[in-house]
Amino acid sequence: MMLDSNVIKAKVAELLRVDPMKVQDDTIVSDLVADSFALVEMVVELQEQTGIRLMQKDLQGVRTVGDLTQVMVRLSAAA
Amino acid sequence: MSSLRESELWLLSFYRQSEIAGALFFGRLAKNIRRGAIQRDMAKHFADESQHAWYWTRCVHELGADVQNLPFTYQDQYIEAGGMPVNMMEILAVTLAFERRVIGQYVAHSRAPGIAQPVVDTLATIMTDEKWHIRWVTEALDGMKAEYGADVVTATLKRYIDADREVYRSFLDEYAERMSGLMQFKSK
Repeated sequence: MMLDSNVIKAKVAELLRVDPMKVQDDTIVSDLVADSFALVEMVVELQEQTGIRLMQKDLQGVRTVGDLTQVMVRLSAAA
Repeated sequence: MSSLRESELWLLSFYRQSEIAGALFFGRLAKNIRRGAIQRDMAKHFADESQHAWYWTRCVHELGADVQNLPFTYQDQYIEAGGMPVNMMEILAVTLAFERRVIGQYVAHSRAPGIAQPVVDTLATIMTDEKWHIRWVTEALDGMKAEYGADVVTATLKRYIDADREVYRSFLDEYAERMSGLMQFKSK
């Protein structure tokens, strides 16, 4: 099932416990987390909740929330 | 008065700091894993690393010193060298590379001449746990070969082992003087 980018953004906000308004396409993902491990936790949990499997190479070049949602939408469409 | 040399105190403090970092890492992971053998074993791993930090703290105190608060851990440089792990398979691969390094370091230390008895005892206790860490992580990674593919798991592990070698090499370069003290321990 193809994921909706707004659903992914809502999950990111929920997992990071941040205001959903702060999770916009141009938001830098690393600006949302306190440390790099919080990012690992969020990405692992996001996979758990969506059923999409990510590999390190999938996230190379991902800087913004929009980059992340694009990758996940693409992978969900291919699944 | 402490019987520890400054370089020994630094090394034992470094071990403690790395064990604490490991405990925090596995604790955060264990909190999120929902099911299965990995949930059970990750929680045990977390508990072990916490215990090890306590063992090193106790050891240093038995030797009459206070641990040093170091501003870094060995793990800090892993993500930079090997890239951020983004799934459980990659997390286990980086863990296995790290655990192999830890046990190699502790074995080398335990063979050093003239080390103090509290250090001998602490190393022996911790190495029992470390052997189990390597076993459970290896088995968990093997179990993921069906999902990710054996080639992918093997390549990921190799990437993190290579990263570990790079990190260890730069670590030895940076702290050569203190690490060389490891092989020069004298009877107290």
